[in-house]
Amino acid sequence: MINEQIYRRFNHTVAACFVIYFLFPEYILGIKREYFIILFWVFLVAIEYLRLNKDLKVLGMRDYEDNRIAGFVWFATGTCIILELYELDIIPQSLAIATIIMAAYTDPLIGEANQRFGDKWGIGLGLLCSFLIYQLIIGELFYSIIGSFVAVASERPKIKWFDDDFAMQIIPILVLTLLSSMDFSPDITQNILGEN
Amino acid sequence: MNITKIYIYLMYLIVISCVISFMLKEHYIIASLLFLGNMMPGYAMAASMMGENEN
Repeated sequence: MINEQIYRRFNHTVAACFVIYFLFPEYILGIKREYFIILFWVFLVAIEYLRLNKDLKVLGMRDYEDNRIAGFVWFATGTCIILELYELDIIPQSLAIATIIMAAYTDPLIGEANQRFGDKWGIGLGLLCSFLIYQLIIGELFYSIIGSFVAVASERPKIKWFDDDFAMQIIPILVLTLLSSMDFSPDITQNILGEN
Repeated sequence: MNITKIYIYLMYLIVISCVISFMLKEHYIIASLLFLGNMMPGYAMAASMMGENEN
């Protein structure tokens, strides 16, 4: 048997690769790239529907996910919303990239640290990981510090219908986008990857 | 070979492709983040699969 916990963690970190979207050309086979986001999301929802209603077996599910929406759907939904908001010019590209990568790595790191060393280590390592990712990509202490605290705080509440995989993307990006539009906030690099 | 294994190999392929794509576009920080972030879980996944094969 494949170790399901390792499988889940690997699935989670691979989700950082969603940022490849920003290297895609604006049109793919004559279709605007943002439509592929919707197509991808519908595909995942269809799989989830089959898993919940037609007994489709999907490896790596937790016991409590038997009767509720799985983490991978929550994560993909958060990412798809971020990508769509970017396409609508609502959020800067730099924040979108940093937040997707941050959520993909920080959540499994917190889970692993909580399990091995306890909650305090989970919070500490989560803060460190999210801070480093924001700082490496955005390069502004102001956003890195606030982003990391908001991200780790978003992970804490355990609510059945609002998964941390979703919250860890949507809450930080909304807070940081709002802050970046304020006069007192430092300027943020809008695009870190060239437009195609 | 079952679907899960094909899916896992696909995940490795996606990570490698993304790292190479970002390197070719000279976005080394993002390429490094994708590589480093997936290195540990990827290694653990490979070790888990090899352990399974030995059994």
